Amino acid sequence: MNLISPIYIVAVSLGIAFFMGLLGNKAQRSSYLILLAALLFNTFVSLQWVFGLGSGLVEAMQVYTAGFKPPFSINLLMGLNESVITALINIVGVLGAIYMMSSLKKNGTGSQVVFLILFMSLNVIVLSRDLFNIFVFLEVGSIALAGLIILQKGTNAISAGFKYMLATGIISGILLIGIIFIYRFTGSLNIDSIITANPILKQGAFVSAFLIIIAIVLELKSFPANGWGLDVYEASHPGIGAILSAASATATYFVLYKIVDIAGSQLNYYISIIGVISFVGSNLLALKQENSKRLLGYSSIGQIGLLMIILGFKDILGENTTYVAFGILVSHYLAKAGLFWLSGIVKQKNIKGWAVIRKKPYFLFLMGTFIFALIGFPPFPSFFAKWTLVMDLVNTGNISWVVAILFGSMMEAVYMIRWFGYAIKGENEDIKDFKIDIYKIIPVGIFAVALYVVGYFVAPHTEVGTAINFIPLYFVAAIFILDFLPVIIKNTLAIVGMILYFYNIYPDLDNMRLIFEAIFMVGGILTLIAGYAYKGKRPGFYPVALLMYAGLTAIIEAQTTLQFFFGWEVMTAGSYFLIIRGKRSMPHGLSYMLFSIGGAYALLTGLGMAHVGHASFSMEILNGISYLPYLAYGLLIVGFLSKTAALGLHIWLPGAHGEAESDVSPMVSAILLKAGVFGIVLTLIGMGASNNQYSELAYALGWLGAITALAGNLMAVFQEDAKRLLAYSSIGQLGYIVLGLAMMTHLGWLGGFSYVINHFLYKAVLFLTIGAVVMRVGTHNMYQMGGLIKRMPLAFIAVMIGIIALSGVPPLSGFAGKWLFYNAILEKGWYFQGAIMFFSGGIAFMYLWRLIHTVFLGQLKDNHRNVKEISIWFLIPIYTLLAGIMVYSMKPQWVLQPLGNMIAKWFPEGQLQWVGETAISQYGQWAGSLVAITIMGSFIIVLVLLMLSTRKAHKVKQFDITYSGERPERPETTHVAYNVFEGLYKAMWPATIPLVEAWWNKITEILHNIADVTRRIYSSNGQVYVAHIVLFIIVSYLVIIGG
Amino acid sequence: MEIIALITGFSLILIGLYGILSKRNIIKIIVGFSLFDTGLHVLIVTVGYIKGGTAPILDSVVGTTDVASKIVDPVPQALVLTAIVIGLGVTALMLAYALKMYQAKKSLDISDFKDMKW
Repeated sequence: MNLISPIYIVAVSLGIAFFMGLLGNKAQRSSYLILLAALLFNTFVSLQWVFGLGSGLVEAMQVYTAGFKPPFSINLLMGLNESVITALINIVGVLGAIYMMSSLKKNGTGSQVVFLILFMSLNVIVLSRDLFNIFVFLEVGSIALAGLIILQKGTNAISAGFKYMLATGIISGILLIGIIFIYRFTGSLNIDSIITANPILKQGAFVSAFLIIIAIVLELKSFPANGWGLDVYEASHPGIGAILSAASATATYFVLYKIVDIAGSQLNYYISIIGVISFVGSNLLALKQENSKRLLGYSSIGQIGLLMIILGFKDILGENTTYVAFGILVSHYLAKAGLFWLSGIVKQKNIKGWAVIRKKPYFLFLMGTFIFALIGFPPFPSFFAKWTLVMDLVNTGNISWVVAILFGSMMEAVYMIRWFGYAIKGENEDIKDFKIDIYKIIPVGIFAVALYVVGYFVAPHTEVGTAINFIPLYFVAAIFILDFLPVIIKNTLAIVGMILYFYNIYPDLDNMRLIFEAIFMVGGILTLIAGYAYKGKRPGFYPVALLMYAGLTAIIEAQTTLQFFFGWEVMTAGSYFLIIRGKRSMPHGLSYMLFSIGGAYALLTGLGMAHVGHASFSMEILNGISYLPYLAYGLLIVGFLSKTAALGLHIWLPGAHGEAESDVSPMVSAILLKAGVFGIVLTLIGMGASNNQYSELAYALGWLGAITALAGNLMAVFQEDAKRLLAYSSIGQLGYIVLGLAMMTHLGWLGGFSYVINHFLYKAVLFLTIGAVVMRVGTHNMYQMGGLIKRMPLAFIAVMIGIIALSGVPPLSGFAGKWLFYNAILEKGWYFQGAIMFFSGGIAFMYLWRLIHTVFLGQLKDNHRNVKEISIWFLIPIYTLLAGIMVYSMKPQWVLQPLGNMIAKWFPEGQLQWVGETAISQYGQWAGSLVAITIMGSFIIVLVLLMLSTRKAHKVKQFDITYSGERPERPETTHVAYNVFEGLYKAMWPATIPLVEAWWNKITEILHNIADVTRRIYSSNGQVYVAHIVLFIIVSYLVIIGG
Repeated sequence: MEIIALITGFSLILIGLYGILSKRNIIKIIVGFSLFDTGLHVLIVTVGYIKGGTAPILDSVVGTTDVASKIVDPVPQALVLTAIVIGLGVTALMLAYALKMYQAKKSLDISDFKDMKW
């Protein structure tokens, strides 16, 4: 089979460039079309080689020039790598030319010629195997790019272009010195023969190899000698920014990839060091950046740093190198070009100004796609690449490298998600609409879609990626496409989809997973029913809600750690989008995301450590981790605790849950938090369950749970916002669960699991009811409500049953958990923790009572005299859940006996004895049904007696009272609702200082200050930038010689 | 000879670099860059030099046997031509930039072009 030789990329480009020069400025329209044709031709040549070489139909091709073989001539190599890289470059060429259509046409044929020459030279530096040839075309590319920078009007572009010329001039001078001396030592300019000659063995040749490599490293704008690059990113046309970041950096990186071996492998380690400094440094400094294009510049430099790390580790990564590098490279390529192009459409310098993007919701989708691809979320290729990278680095004991890489990624996530937050939710008073040229959208759209497509095809190339279940994601995508339909249709589709999925999946699950899957799916279906209460289209809600459920079910179904982590990240992304939908939820969405990402990185490292010593990635490897087990289990636990909002990692929860929409709060509280619990259960089982060898870890976890319970409840007491009250209460409840599980006994786990089920039931009831009330009365503040019992009796009953269940008094189901807990604590001998639990249980009454007293009792506010009962669509799930609570309360053995049998698998000792309906522990016995019936019966008898005896009493009207001679005439003056615990607050205020929040704020502040001080090295003076370059070379040399 | 040429080359490079780093005037910086380039070119030629060698043209004087020891290496000479052309291109574009910069701010002092910070 004959394919078009790559030499025609050069020949055709040059020929057309000359021809266009002849055309002159008179034929701008046709010359633009000729340019496009030439770029398309180049793309076609590359792509046919991609398919030819990829399918194995053709062999890699060497092109010799001038009729000689190297080293006597220049040769080009078209292998698989080269074909893919040139295809990437040429595609960005075509799309970039489309994007810059008006600019290229306006600036005439000259600019088009320069554009074409730039892409020709990028192709050559990828293809060429001749060092001097690479130098020449690097220079040609630099000159062409400097010519294009000036397309943008304004002084900034001019000075940036000059600095760029100066810097690249010096760098290529250094490169040339290296090249000429390596020629002297090896007698060749051909990369392959130089590598064979192994110049390192010769005295002095090392320096020349060093100069060549350092020059290419500098061309890649390594931190901190990269001020010139940042200025270009900031000042030039966004289309040029895209080319620099996607095409130019890709080509230059490939040059480094080609030539790195001329120094043997001696410099690999230093390339990694420079890479990690670039990655962490750039991303850290970007924290203070507000200019969107400069921010993208920082991020580009960071990503290239990450790629340098990968290259430096190529001996360790082995055959995975290409996969990892390709995953990161292609994600960066697509996402960064897309974001640069977007920035040219949005036309907002400051990242806060990007709030205008909200005017066009599908732009948010594009931006979100690019940002989540950059920070390595599934299903994008960077996710799989990062996974493989971390697994391999941990596996070879390079944990400190993993820490550094994840720290850099974290910083990148901070500014990227913050930026996205500004766009999606930032406060911005007058949001102007912006104009869109259709030809500018096409490239952006293509790249966004490409990210999904490439991710989909990249996934099966990881060792275990083939097993990823994409079916839920297909469903999410389908719902996304159907987003234009009204709520009623989408809601029905979503519910039916989840029912079918649950029906299909549940027979395959073991009991423990079934409990969690039922909470996720049945809970999900019930909360979705509430969605019928919404009118209109509710744009964007269904795809993200289903995305979260897709992630949740994926972690349950996961057979391998990769599947688990995939699901975990899908769930995180979905829940982030859900949370940030709420009003004023921008900062909370951000902190939720950052704690989630931080937790996910801890998790990732822990999973990597679990893999050490195993060939497989099966979930079984969590059992009995042998490599640094304390650290590994600790990291896993911390990762999961970030989702259960343990004290210290909880500050995102109150805002995120409190500000979320009415039916979202139960999703993220009653349901989502259980994902963290599921993870902790898996970890504790992995630690050996009843044979736990890491009792210190469990002990610490127990204390953390107890203190979390206390702190969560205490903070809930002083809330005036009903939803925040419930949110803090969740923190406390999750503390109980963690404590119960940490006991690592049968009864502790039974208590913990009973709380898991209970918390799901009553927290869903309470959040749904309070959320529905909030929808009716329009405020979260309890003191602005009151007397709603008359208007919403059904809601009142629901809240009352909910808080009785929550408080853990008989007759309702909460008591089961309490009873088990105290038994477990006595058995375990954790008396202090038990005392804290007891105390925080008491505190719980103090806030729970307010939900009834302040909201439903007391005096009806004037503006609520006509509110209606909460929506029927909320009442249906609420009363379904209440039925669950009642069944559990009346027949606790129906739940506890199977739970006990399940837990006996891991904790065979110390089970409850069941005699009929009576549970017997070593400290006592409890007949759940009997207790429930007795208490309910007594309650009903008293109620009936009271109703009979008060038949003749006359009803007191609202203001039918006098107080100290005054007659209160407003509802507020008759009802103690605001600042109820003033006295308690005076006694306890030191305990309510948000120390944890202050601590995290301080850390954030310190990082931002470091960024702000450090970035002052970029003084914007061209000479300083040259000095940076010279110093960079000297310092690198000294370090390498010294090291 | 070789040593002198090497020293000259490196000295020119350093002088050029000094000029780039110390002079404020953009034209002087470009002159510095030219010196830097010229130094490079001298280096390139030096590398291919062989003591007593003649021009790399195959004729009756040189003969066809033991050519390599009689002529200087032609490759660096070819390279230096390319490098000179590229240097010319870069310098020309830099001067064009200098013109633009002067038109924009009526100044040729590089420290007047520090608008983009951090």
